[in-house]
Amino acid sequence: MTEVQTSPAAAPAAAGPSPKVSTRRATHLREAATGWLFVLPFVVLLIAFLLLPLAYAFKISLYRSTLIEGEVFAFTDNYQQAINDPLVREGVVRVLIFGLIQTPVMIGLALLAALLIDSATSRFSRFFRLAAFVPYAVPVVIGTLMWGFLYSDSVGPFAGLGIDFTASDTVLASLGNIVTWQWAGYNMIVLYAALQGLPKEIYESARIDGASEVQIALRIKTPMISSALVLATLFTIMGTLQFFTEPLILQPLNPGSITQHYTPNMYAYGQAFSFQQYNYSAAISFLLGAVVFIGSYIFLFATRKRSALQ
Amino acid sequence: MNVSKLSARRVSRRSVVAAIAASALALTACSSSGDDETATAKPTGTVTVKVWAWYPEFQAVVDQFNSTHTDVKIEWTNAGTGQDQYTKLQTALKAGKGAPDVVQLELQEIPTFQLTKHLVDLGKYGANDVKADYVDWAWKQVSTGDSVYAIPVDAGPMAMMYRADIFEKYKLTVPTTWDEYKTQAEKLKTASGGKSFITDFGANDGGFMTGLQWQAGAQPYAYDIADPSKIGVNLNSAESKKVFDYWEGMVNGGLADNTAFHTTDFYAGLNSEKYATYLAAGWGPGYIQANAAGASGKWKVAPLPQWTAGANAQGDWGGSSFAVTDQAKYPDIAAKVAMEIFGAKNTDAWKIGIDKAFLFPTATPILESEAFLSKEYDFFGGQKVNEVFVPAYKAIGPLAWSPFNSYNFNQLTTNLGQAIEKKTAWSAALDTAQANVKTYATQQGFKVQ
Repeated sequence: MTEVQTSPAAAPAAAGPSPKVSTRRATHLREAATGWLFVLPFVVLLIAFLLLPLAYAFKISLYRSTLIEGEVFAFTDNYQQAINDPLVREGVVRVLIFGLIQTPVMIGLALLAALLIDSATSRFSRFFRLAAFVPYAVPVVIGTLMWGFLYSDSVGPFAGLGIDFTASDTVLASLGNIVTWQWAGYNMIVLYAALQGLPKEIYESARIDGASEVQIALRIKTPMISSALVLATLFTIMGTLQFFTEPLILQPLNPGSITQHYTPNMYAYGQAFSFQQYNYSAAISFLLGAVVFIGSYIFLFATRKRSALQ
Repeated sequence: MNVSKLSARRVSRRSVVAAIAASALALTACSSSGDDETATAKPTGTVTVKVWAWYPEFQAVVDQFNSTHTDVKIEWTNAGTGQDQYTKLQTALKAGKGAPDVVQLELQEIPTFQLTKHLVDLGKYGANDVKADYVDWAWKQVSTGDSVYAIPVDAGPMAMMYRADIFEKYKLTVPTTWDEYKTQAEKLKTASGGKSFITDFGANDGGFMTGLQWQAGAQPYAYDIADPSKIGVNLNSAESKKVFDYWEGMVNGGLADNTAFHTTDFYAGLNSEKYATYLAAGWGPGYIQANAAGASGKWKVAPLPQWTAGANAQGDWGGSSFAVTDQAKYPDIAAKVAMEIFGAKNTDAWKIGIDKAFLFPTATPILESEAFLSKEYDFFGGQKVNEVFVPAYKAIGPLAWSPFNSYNFNQLTTNLGQAIEKKTAWSAALDTAQANVKTYATQQGFKVQ
């Protein structure tokens, strides 16, 4: 009893060969157990809501279920079909083009707005900050429906201009406009928060050295928030590749230009929930996941020196 | 020696397999007869029957049913309109629990759900007793032989709604053939300076386009629920191409608009003077009243123009039924509910259905009742519009749907929508749809003919 009391952490390890070693091991074990206990809620949720569904989706992507023959093991058939499916390719190409145009426009606007409100400290800048952020607070579905009315060629405010906002050659730009409206404010806040974290002394010394406000913004502020820029850009790339809600909501306005395979996500959704092709849908989703992963990786690799996310 | 031993062993193995199979059959026979016994056994107390439906004003119909029944009580859920409900239903049926006892199914969806073998054959529960209450084509939509998979509720025989004021203003005559229709359209275009269109062709509605094909005598599918492994696909038949070539000319000639149906712009067109006619279905009076209230009193109804002068060919656009799922605990009671909610004798329910929900009834006694046939509609300037819709309904011929209708409608709307957008030939769009559906059906394991 006394022995145990003198070595405070040895209670469960009294039967060890050497008291010192066993004590150390026990401490280590207990610390590990405590650590695991702390992360347990996260691990359980991660397994239950991410890893298990992913594993299940992967499993069903290897099967093929037909209306007549039932479920059969298909191995990579679904993947081969998806890779060779022109509708999948059309969607992937479309979201890639969309991302290439959308990302610089959105991040550029967000950066410009963030720099502007960072250098002005009037009441107007506070109002502008809130006003630019409000679209993000509007649910995507509501925002898109609202734009649907604005684009209407009979009741919308632009009805007299004679522009068909949902024709096949204009609809991608119309969708991009909605996305920018919705997300530019959010990205602006991310960049603005990073700007707020910069030490003000640097600006002062730059001003003493004769730098103009524009030079400060471009040469000092922008490079110093590059890791926030990389993060915002990464989220935007991921978002554009997974483009889904906006085209789905606008689809009824012109199903000829926004087809059911307009984006890969919409195609996968339609396969699963309109045609009960859960297996094929899972395969398309995994392929899209791979595209998003590779796209994000390439971007992170290219910006590894700036991002501090190595 | 060895060989004979081997074959003897094989034979014995085979006979064992056969014996097992036989006993398994016997077992299933036993259990199925056991099921029947429990099903026909009288449950004690009030039985609750779960119903999924999205009819307007349905709560009043449910209340009316519950107040007149003591042994059965309906528990109603609106699980979404159309595809929303079907998605939930498919999931619940696949999971084996969570599905309702009785469910609203549109006529074109019955083969889709029947194929998964989740619909109860109501023929076993006396559904054939009410067969005489329905016209031939409507009954064929829900049955094959003595097997009945749903009880028809409402339908959508097509007719032409037209703006009497616009017709008068531009001195147009009500067309009776599609040729005359086109002539009037050209006259209207010139007279109105291109402001008014004869109609709107909404390529986003598969039911609408199928209705027009139906009238022209097209049979897109040859499919019988009784033999589900075989299907004939004929989306690009000469009859279909005739219909779509005609409408391609109308749309590209600037005579018909191509705004998608059920959109704000479409409703705005019905309210203003943009559309002189609207090719509508039997449920159209309620629909147009709700969405074009501003044009009340200006609309009238005339029969659908014909391809051959003097003919009486008609088509259907929409309609629904009540089916019983295999998750119903008491299929006999569920079947009774399906037959009675909007049954031919339930005039009280139909009073709500006709006056408030604007459903077009399928049951002949209701159709021919004075209350329906002679009902005057203020929206149509007091016209008894059912005097047009009822004869149209009776003249419709049978049509088979595919067991993958959402894919079918999707192919129609996608390919035609793109043809309109890209100004390519509509008949080529039909050819594409035909090829895609054939590939899909083959992939699904059907023998495509």
